[in-house]
Parts: sequence; C-alpha cells; structure tokens
Amino acid sequence: MRIQILLYIVLALMPAFLLASDQVPAPPQDHPIALVGGTVHTVSGDVIENGTILFVDGKITAIGTSVNLPAGTESIDVAGKHIYPSLIVANTSIGLVEVNAVRATRDYSEVGDFKPEVRSAIAYNTDSELIPVSRANGIGIIQSVPLGGVISGTSSVMMMDGWTYETTTLKGPSGVHLNWPRMGVSTAWWMTKSAEEQLKERDKNLAELDQFLAEARAYHHARKNGKDHRHNTRLEAMVPVLDGSVPLYIHANEVRQIQAALDWTAQENLKMILVSTADACRVAGELAQRKIPVILTGTHTLPRRRWEDYDTPFTAPKRLSEAGVTFCIASSGSPFAAAHIRNIPFQAGTAAAYGLPKSEALKSVTLYPAQILGIDKQVGSLEIGKDATLIVCSGDPLEIMNQVEMQFIQGRKIDLNSRHTQLYEKYQAKYKQLKMLK
Amino acid sequence: MAFRPMLRRFRGGTFFVLLTVFGCGLLFAQTKPVEGLHDERPSVHALTNATIVQAPGRVIENGTVIIRDGIIENVGKNVSIPADARQWDYSGKMIYAGLIDVYAETKAADKGKGSDKKSGSAAAPSYWNDRVHPEKSVLELYSASGKDLASSRKMGFTSAWLVPAKGIFRGSSAVVTLGDGDIHERILNRDVAQHLAFESGGGRYPGSLMGSIALIRQTLYDAQWYGGATSAYAASSAGLPPEANDALAALQSVINGRQLLVTAIGNDLDLLRVMKLRDEFGFKPMLKGSGHEYRQLETLKKSRAVVILPLNFPHDIDLTAPENAINVSLMHLQHWEQAPHNPARLAAAGIPFALTRSGLDKKQNFHKQIQKAIEHGLSADDALAALTTTPAKILGVGSALGTIEKGKRAHLLVTSKALFEKGSDKLDLWIDGKRYELKKPSTDISGKWDLRMNQHDGVTRTIPLEITGTDKPKVTLLKGDHKVKADKASISNKRLTLLFAGDSLDMSGKIRLSGSIRDGSMHGAGELADGTAFLWEATFKETMADKKSEKKEAAKAEDKMGDIPIVYHGAFGRSGKPQMQKHILVKNATIWTSGPDGILEDADMLISNGKIAKIRAGLYAPGGATVIDAKGKHVTPGLIDAHSHSGIERGVNESQQAVTSEVRIGDVINSYSIAFYRELAGGLTASNLLHGSANPIGGQNAVIKLRWGSLPEEMKIAGAPEGIKFALGENVKQANWGDKFTTRYPQTRMGVETIIRDRFQAAREYRDAWQKYNAGKKKKGVAAPRRDLELEALVEILEGKRLIHCHSYRQDEILMLTRVAQEFGFKIATFQHVLEGYKVAEELSKLDFGASTFSDWWAYKFEVYDAIPHNGALMHDVGVNVSFNSDSNELARRMNTEAAKAVRYGGVAPVDALKFVTINPAYQLGIDKQVGSLEVGKDGDFVVWSGDPLSTYTMCEQTWIEGAKYFDRQDDIAMRDEIRTERARLIQKYLATGDGSGGGKGMKGSSGRIYDSHHSCRDHGDHDHGGHGDDGHHDHDEHQDHGHGTLNEVRR
Repeated sequence: MRIQILLYIVLALMPAFLLASDQVPAPPQDHPIALVGGTVHTVSGDVIENGTILFVDGKITAIGTSVNLPAGTESIDVAGKHIYPSLIVANTSIGLVEVNAVRATRDYSEVGDFKPEVRSAIAYNTDSELIPVSRANGIGIIQSVPLGGVISGTSSVMMMDGWTYETTTLKGPSGVHLNWPRMGVSTAWWMTKSAEEQLKERDKNLAELDQFLAEARAYHHARKNGKDHRHNTRLEAMVPVLDGSVPLYIHANEVRQIQAALDWTAQENLKMILVSTADACRVAGELAQRKIPVILTGTHTLPRRRWEDYDTPFTAPKRLSEAGVTFCIASSGSPFAAAHIRNIPFQAGTAAAYGLPKSEALKSVTLYPAQILGIDKQVGSLEIGKDATLIVCSGDPLEIMNQVEMQFIQGRKIDLNSRHTQLYEKYQAKYKQLKMLK
Repeated sequence: MAFRPMLRRFRGGTFFVLLTVFGCGLLFAQTKPVEGLHDERPSVHALTNATIVQAPGRVIENGTVIIRDGIIENVGKNVSIPADARQWDYSGKMIYAGLIDVYAETKAADKGKGSDKKSGSAAAPSYWNDRVHPEKSVLELYSASGKDLASSRKMGFTSAWLVPAKGIFRGSSAVVTLGDGDIHERILNRDVAQHLAFESGGGRYPGSLMGSIALIRQTLYDAQWYGGATSAYAASSAGLPPEANDALAALQSVINGRQLLVTAIGNDLDLLRVMKLRDEFGFKPMLKGSGHEYRQLETLKKSRAVVILPLNFPHDIDLTAPENAINVSLMHLQHWEQAPHNPARLAAAGIPFALTRSGLDKKQNFHKQIQKAIEHGLSADDALAALTTTPAKILGVGSALGTIEKGKRAHLLVTSKALFEKGSDKLDLWIDGKRYELKKPSTDISGKWDLRMNQHDGVTRTIPLEITGTDKPKVTLLKGDHKVKADKASISNKRLTLLFAGDSLDMSGKIRLSGSIRDGSMHGAGELADGTAFLWEATFKETMADKKSEKKEAAKAEDKMGDIPIVYHGAFGRSGKPQMQKHILVKNATIWTSGPDGILEDADMLISNGKIAKIRAGLYAPGGATVIDAKGKHVTPGLIDAHSHSGIERGVNESQQAVTSEVRIGDVINSYSIAFYRELAGGLTASNLLHGSANPIGGQNAVIKLRWGSLPEEMKIAGAPEGIKFALGENVKQANWGDKFTTRYPQTRMGVETIIRDRFQAAREYRDAWQKYNAGKKKKGVAAPRRDLELEALVEILEGKRLIHCHSYRQDEILMLTRVAQEFGFKIATFQHVLEGYKVAEELSKLDFGASTFSDWWAYKFEVYDAIPHNGALMHDVGVNVSFNSDSNELARRMNTEAAKAVRYGGVAPVDALKFVTINPAYQLGIDKQVGSLEVGKDGDFVVWSGDPLSTYTMCEQTWIEGAKYFDRQDDIAMRDEIRTERARLIQKYLATGDGSGGGKGMKGSSGRIYDSHHSCRDHGDHDHGGHGDDGHHDHDEHQDHGHGTLNEVRR
C-alpha cells in the first residue's frame, strides 16, 4: 500500500513535482570580501602563492600578494587553500530535466524537427536538486542546451545559483543548436531500417535543413528590407544566427557528420561551434584553420570503432590542442549526463593523464569554455574587473580526492550543501542513534 | 513390380532408406489410378563418348553410361550398348553425379507471422514453447513449384536436402529428388536428421541467445524424463501415465543418439556452444556452419562432426572513401581475407564437409563462390565430394546417389567443360532416368572477325568486327581506329541478328542483317537503309586478349597461398596467449596490498609460477626473472568489477519471463569482445558478468578473469562460486518499459516480493520430491521427477551453493529481500547498486550481505532520486563490505578513480577506498582466497600504475594475470602501428581484387558484427532524442551518431 500511496502522491503533485531544493540562494554581495593567504590560480596569468583576492559588488578588484583591504572588508583566511575560477560546463541539459524516467520532469525536447524558437532559459528550473549537487564540485556556470530534432532550440548560459531564471541568466540567448543528421549507415542491433532507407532518410533530412535555412534567409531578407511579412516566431528565432549575433552550435559526433557540417557552414557562411567527440580530431586541421572551436563531449567515453586505440577519447584533448584547435571539455548533454556534470573536472584530469598539459586541462573547464561561449570578459579566469565567480579548494579541483570548500558566484557566497549532503547527514544521525557511528 | 526396402547402417544409427526400384517403366505413383491411357515411354538410354567423373578423382575418358528404368545399369569405357537403348552422343562433354542441394531451407508457403507452430490439429499434444516442434516434418512445409524446381535444376542439382528453417527444435528433414514427378515418387529419405538453431527474439521466449540455449537444455532433459517416465509407466502401469507429448516423443531418437542433430550456428563461438551441449547430452552433432569454422579447426576435428559449409564470403565492403573505410573493423577485414580459405582449411584438416548455398545473398552465385573457394586452395575433387559423395553419405542415401555406379539411381549432370572451370555450362540433367535440358550448347562467336557485305550493286565492303560474350554478344564494328558499337546483337538457334548505324561506316541509316553461324564462319542476308538487300559473310580471324582477367588471375594466384596467420581477436589481438613468466620481480614500488600489510613503500614483490611468492624490501631476482623497475610507480592488485555486462553475446537480458533462473551467462560469453582488452588497459583483471535486471529472478552469472586471447571457457575462474542475478524495483515491474508493458506479473513491489517467495516455495517442494525419489529403494517402475532447471538453480540457493547478486535501489525492497533470505535461510552475496543501502546499512552489516554500488550515479529514475555518493562510505563506516562496480564497458576501465570517490564523498581512507575495487568485490564473489589482494600464495594478478592509483592523473601501465602480462602500454603503442599497417595492406588487397562494388551500395557486413555484443547497461536518458548520443553508455562496436537504445533491452 505504501508504494501505491506514494505513487498517488507523486501523481497528484506532478505539476509541482519539481520540489524546491533546500539551499537558499545567496543575497547580492553587500560588502567587500577578501580571500587571504591562499594560492591564487588566475588561469589567464600567474599562479600567485600566498596571495589575496579582493572583490566588491560582485567584481574582482584586486589580486596579489599585498592587497590593501578597504574598510569593512570581510577577510577570510584561506591559507593552504587554492583559489580557482568557477568551472564552466558549456554543454548540458541540466535544469531541463529532473528525473528522466519521469516524463513530467522532462523539458528538454519540444515536438518537431526544427524549433529554434524554444529557449532553454524559460524552462531552466533554478530549484532543481541537480544544481546544488553540481556546484558542490565547483561548477558555477553552465550552458543549458535543448535536445531533440534537427534544430533543437536556443540555449542560454546560466549561473548555478539564484531565485529565478532571469536572475541566473548570464547570457541569453547564447546560440542555436543543430543536431547534424546521421550520415552513415548503422548496422547496430537496434537499427530496424535498411541501408537504403537510412540513406534516403539522410538525404531527406539534409534537404529539409537546406530548405529551412533558405526560408529563414528569405524571411530575414524581407524583414530587413522593410517588406511587410507577417511575424514568424520560428524563423525569427533564426535571425540572430543569420546576422551573426549568436553562433550556430552544430552537434556532430561522427566524422562524416562533421565534414558535412563544415562544408555546409562554409557554403552558407555561418559562424559555427562544433559540439563533438574524439572524431573531431580527424578534421583538426580544418577546424584550426577556420578557427572553429570545439566543445568536446567528455573524455570518459569509449572509442567509437572496435579497432581504435583504447585511449582515443582520453587523448582527444591533447590532439586538438596540438593541432591548434580551441576546445573545452563538457558533458554529452544527454539527460543521463545532466545529473553527472559534477564529474566534468575529472574528465579534464583524465585528459591530463593522457598527455594534455595540466594547465591546459584546467583551462579546458574554465577559460576556454568562457571564450567559446563568449563570456570571457566576465568569467573564466581571475582578473581584475571580472566577476568574482570562483572556488576555494583543498587542492587541484581536477583531482577527485580534493574538496571544493567555498564557491562565490558574482561575489555571493554559495551554499555548497545539497540533497546529497543532507541525506548523508540524516542517515549519519540514524547510525549515531544506533551507536554504530560516533 | 519389386518394392524393396533397403536397410542400411550409418555411423551407429540405423536408417531406413526407401529405395524404390522398378522392374519396368519409369517411376510413377503406384497407388493412384491411371486416367486416360497408360503412357510409358522408352526408358533405356546410352550416354556415350563422354568424360565420366564417376566419383571425385575417378574419371573414365570416352565412356558410356547405360540407364535402364531410372537406374544406372552400367558404366565404363567399353560398355556394349543395349539394343533397346536410345543413344545420346555426349562427345566432348563431362558427366558428373547429380549435385545435391544441401541444406535447402524450407519455410511454410504462407509466411505467417509470429508462431511457426506446426499446422497440425489444435489437439495435437505439442511442446509448450512454440519454437520447439521437433515432431514436425519438413515435408509439411514443402511446396516447391515447377519454377522452383527448374531453377534448382539449372544449378545442377538433382536432389535436395530439405530442412526446416524456423524455430529452435525445427523438425526433421528429408531428401527429395528435383524431378517433375509427384511428391510420392520424389522422396528419397525422411527423418534424415533433427534440426536445431539458437533462435531468439521477436517478443517471445526466448528473447536472448542464453534463453534459447536454456530452452534447448530444458527440452532435452524433458525428453529424457519423458522417455523414462513412459517406460516406467509401461513397466508398472501404476497411477496416471505421463502427459502425452509428440515433441518429446520425437526427440527420443536424438537423445538416444540414433538421429543426427544438425545445429545452425552464427559464428565460431556457437560451435563451441554446440559441443558443450553435446558433452552434456551425448547427441550426434552435425553443424550448419557460419563461414568462421577455420577459427576452430582443432575443436571441429576432435568433434568428428560433419559441417555444412556456406560460401557467404564478405563482399561489397565500402572502403573507397576513407571516412567510410574507418568504420570497417580490422576483424572484419581479416575475416574477408580468411573466409574464402575456409573450405580449403577444413579440407586440409581432414574435416568432412558439404557445401550449401544457404546463406548467400544471391543463391545463383553458388557456383561462382565455389570457384572462389577453389581459387583459394580448395581442390576441385574436394569441392565435388562436398556436393555429391559427402552429402549422399551423411544423408543416408549413399547407396542411391553421389556417384555414377552400377545400381545407383541415374542422377547425372552433363557439362560442357570441367564442372568448376570458368565458362563451363550445365547442359543436361538426368533425374531417375529422365532428361532435363538445362541449356542448349552455347554459341560462342567471341573474337575478331571480318564482315564482308556484298551489295547487289556490286559494292563490296569489309568491316572488321570485335565480338565479346557468348549468347548475348557485344559487337563492335571498326573503321580504322574508329569504333562503332552495334545497336543490337543477339544469337538465337545458332543464328546471329545484328543492327548497327551505318553513318560512320560510309553508309546511311540503320543496317540490319541476320544469318547462320557455323564453325569459323557466318553468312546470311541483310537490308540497307534504302530497303535494298545484300548478302554477307564473316570469317573468324583470332581470339581477343582479356587483359582484365589476367590481372585478376595474378591477384588470385597470390591469394592462393593462404598462409596468413589467423588473428582471432582482431585489432589488439595477438596470435597467441601471453606466456606466464616463471619469475617476475617488481622492484622499488609503492605496493598497495589491499591486505593486512596496507601500503608498503619502496617494496619488492616476487611472483613465481603465477603466484605471489614474496613481498618485502630488498628481494633478489631469481635466475631468468623478469624484473620490473617500478621506482616512483605504484602497484595494486588487479582490479575487480562485481557488476559487468562486457562480452555478453546476443542479449544481456532474458526479459521474456519474470523468472529465468535457467539461463546462464556462462553459455554466451563473447571472448572476442574488445571491451575486455580496453578494461585490461584500465587495470581490471576480473569481472562478475551478470544477467540484466529485467526480471525479479534473472539468469546465472559467470565470474571471469579478463584473459584476452582465450576462449570463453578459459576465461572462467575455476572454483569461483556460482551465482545468479535477482532484481527489484522499477525495472522488474516494468515501470519504464512503456505503455504496452502492463500485464506481466509483477507490476508492483508487492508482486515482486510475492513472486520471489512463490518460487522459493516451489523450489523447496521440488527439492523434497527429488529427496523422496532418491531415498526410495525401488527405482524400477518409478518415474524420476522431471528435472526443472529453473527450480534447480533456486534449490542451489537454498542449499547455499549459489550466490545471489540482487539489483536493488530502494531501502524497502532491500529490506524485503533480506527478510525473504532470512525466512528461507540463505545468504545474499551482494545487493547490486543498492543506492539506498545507506538507509538500512545496519541490516546489511549485521547479516554480512555485501553491497556493490555505483560510486555516484543518481536521478535517472525515480527510485534513484535519493541516491547519494556518500552511500559507499556510509555503509563502509557501519561495517558493510562495500565495492564499487561499473555496470558499463566504459566505466570498467577506470575503476581506480571510482574508488577515489569514496575518499571525496565520506572521507574513506585511500587504503580502504582502493579495497572497494580489489579485496571487497573478491570477497563478495567468493574468490578472496585467490585474488583481490597482494599476499603471499595468492594469484599474481597485479597492476603497475604511473602514480597514485586514486589520482585522475595516473595511467595504468601494465596489467598482469597469474604471472602473464595481458596489457602493457608500450606494447599497445607498438601494436597501433602494426594495426595501421595491417589495415592498409588489407584495404589495398581488397581494392585490388575488387570484391563487389565497393561503393556504398549494399554495405554488406561492413561493420563485421558477427559477435553481437549488446550494449552495456546504461541507456537511460538518451533513447529518444536525436543528436545527443551519450557515448559513454553504449557498447561501441558500432556507429552511434545519434543516441538510441531501448529501455526494453537492458536495464539498470
């Protein structure tokens, strides 16, 4: 009975199922704060031993070994600790999904194949339990990306703390997302379509994509030239891509998709950011030459092909780096991965184990995603004038065994507790009651 | 009229061969009244002046065959021709025994979906599973049309071995002639063999390979029981008789070894599976091969089984565009190279085989494929034997068919040249004395000719011609260097018809001509554009050179050598297993023992004969020892994963029933899975291969070491306790399977408890029944209880002989199974996942039930919303034995950093955290006496790490199992170059020989997925949203451009 009752309760609460997390968003910074005596990893510049970082009204105002602290400064001793910019995950569906198996909690995929008009920020659930869990590992900023179809929608860059989607938006819209149609023929066990059917479907998808872009251009052209065309919400959403104010993020995992996307954006003169796997390394030369950045969807993946080197995904960052491609390491964006972006820094650590310099590995989850997302004037490194969005750690945040002890987002001190720490404490209490723990 | 049943012995079994021999007249139905006139034609024939291949290797030049009333009356060189014989002059021709169409798969005419159940009466007592119908005869399905027969004959077949094509126990096969007569006179032998295949899927039980093997096993035990129970009842007539069951009755001859059991296999691992079943049941095996038999020659030879070989050589591989070519695995390219040698390799090994056209995309390519096999080393005699004498023998019709000998049936094939020679035409077929003309001798006018046209006006022109092709010739007309292709050219009844444009040959309009063809010349009449007639004649000058085929021949000649070693495991495979080193000394390492000694700094470890001999500082290397200088490096025990689905072939779940304790992962290990090698590269040495979590009581597990390079049985850890997968919660109640899945019991956690309890109750009663039977003194006339493999596994749990590994999430269900275990008096080795274990850890601690959990997964299902990464640490803190598992081919290669998460979340000491992936899972699997820690006397399974094993910056450098090195990063890097070179060589070779179009069309077998490794167990989330394939969550022997996966197949 209990379970059924619980189910009924869940069903009854479905619309309001996204129960608020217990962590209270921090108030705006109302007094200067200085972190004193720590090792400051600026990322863009030097590592400053025994340094101090001062921030006022959410912005960094001073960094150095001898910083004058204004009156009323709250001075926090961080001796022996390490200060880094908050980590940035440039691709995830966090905020758009709570429990993926529960349909009512899925908000990442709108109906249809071309829906640039849907904006992730609108559905970004600031009270998701996934958010405190993620920021406890140092993640301060993410790009929330819609899924599904060919054009999945428009993304925004969000901060990991705040009361509403408006106050947590750092940049919006940040881009339109295109899932490049499958180019090859799958012989996977789950594939029910024949090779011919798949190729036909591919050609149809590509033709539809061309058609959609052509219509968006025609619409844009008409409107720009003052022609009286009725407002079209869908095509209007493509205008920022066409006028170059936001990039087109092309999600293309396999080399044939990437090749096709490169040809297409060259021909259509579109500003492209590639979201991809280790297969991006196969076209690294062109990516570097055209200065197309890559959001790598993780290193903790398997080689795509049976005969490939076992460490193919581990060495992809190194290979992109050596080819001169700007890249960052993010999540695959899948709903499953949304709950697990807290492991992204460790994926960067693996890249360093397999040849990427450690300093580059750190940049691949801080400064580089900031640059790719176009928010590097504000975040991504510790520099005067940038947001005081930073973490204080017991050591290198790419090492699993180190702890993130504090996080500030725009100078606001964030609660690093979460559903996980709360349940942990609750059941520690149980075993204390049972005298099994001290 | 004589009617003589012949009795014949065949390999210990008795076959009744109905050989109908008639004193007069041709064969005809003997019981059917004659309508109209009797119409019996002369039936004595003399086939003369032919080269007669009596049997493979026995040739009579210029010989004669006498046929009387369908039987060969005489054959030889100097045979006198009977006066009543009609004479057939076959000078210049070859005569062979008629070919046998081996393994002609036969389906019911109406292609009914779903059940392939026998069409018999609904009251016929059949087996409960509709894939088991051994009582069905293929003749019930057979309904070949005249067209089908004609097309079979066209390929030289005079008889066919019809086999049923659907089901698991498919029924019995028959041999028929391919003449046009009534079926009554065409049957040569019935009940030739019983047919079996590992069929599964289609939304009914069995849904997996392991399920089909389990069903085969249960069916054969049922047949044994049925035989015993039936005879016990016959002896005593006490009580009620056993149930009537046609299927089990039909299988008596199989289990008694009287009837062949022919199993269709999908790859060479299936071959081993058949042999394992043979060892268990002692049936007489024959195999319908897959084309990979060359990989198991030793086993095949020992089995003494005959193999039906297909000629399904890979072709149409898309290697032209580099970006397509990369998707073809090295394993597949290697198979492409080896496959055509398959028949030759079997012949060389002395393994008897017949050839079948089953398995070809285009059946009409059969002879082309035989030629290919011959080009790759098969002798023409062996090929002929595989189509005549061998099948005749194995089908029990050796006294009637297979050779051209006195007294045999007149099944003959007449060809223009040697049968397997290029351009050999099949001309006539004789079946039981009746002649079927296959092809009129073809008219070959290919070559260079001079055409002379004599017009009425006295003008004479001479035009050189180039003609290629026979029957459908291509004609080119020449004027100097200028070439004109004829619009039309055809040959019919030895007459040529030609149409060409005259314009560029100094004539106008279209020119038409026709005429007769004689040796070396042609002549006839034609008409010009203006309607005036002309006469023409053509004379043969010379043959044309064929440059293209010369080039091909050269490539083929090179391939004939066939001495390229077989690399069984494809890329990163080795030609042999790694050798155990007698002594290995690891020096100056930081050794994490996972034992009482904790972490030893600057220590040495000696492994001798595969076992740990000494661990301490300052050891000296024995003579010949391999010394590993591990200064600055760390050494740990080989890591152990207590929850893996790596290398499980064709189905991780048997999801078609709620209770499937009869299925065994150990039956379906794919030792060729690249997952094992990749996991070795992450320091993993042992795994608990588990059934999925689709049902409350799942299948039996297999505990293995990752002995990459070995076969499945060699990977299993000898002496490891047997186990079984149980599962609770959302998966087993089908919560996330979709709206169609709402009727299987159970649908709630209440039902889950009830069904588990119910089965254990049944198991107790089953055990009692056997105990009673075994205690009884009088066995005669008392039927043994029926063996029930499902309950047998549960009895083993009750008796403490089988360990439970139970997938679980919520604390209530964990507690529930704990109570059931206490009530029935068994232990639970592990709760798997056990993500709310931290809520009831006191129970697990008290009862010493292990917890094998994810380090930090959560939130993908409602039942894991309370999962926390501190779970492992908290359970550990209150005394539970905790391990971290992977449940993923990807995660399984970095279990060391998973362990580090116990340090991060909950502050477990690093030395204890590592135990989560070493000694703790070893304890949970009952193999801790052997592995899991570095202690003297244990197996020499260890890993050399570049640094602290818990650091993300650390790499696995070497992985050793029992003193043999299975992974070495330096060797791996060297192998990468070898793989690139080997791929390049094979691609060049393929492109040079041009197998198939090679151009995107077809893509036949491009992935080379013969050992279908279903993806690992993590697919939640990304199953319906294109573009976001979650790469970490699929087994990647395949493309994954878009996320897919179904919740039905694999569950977590």
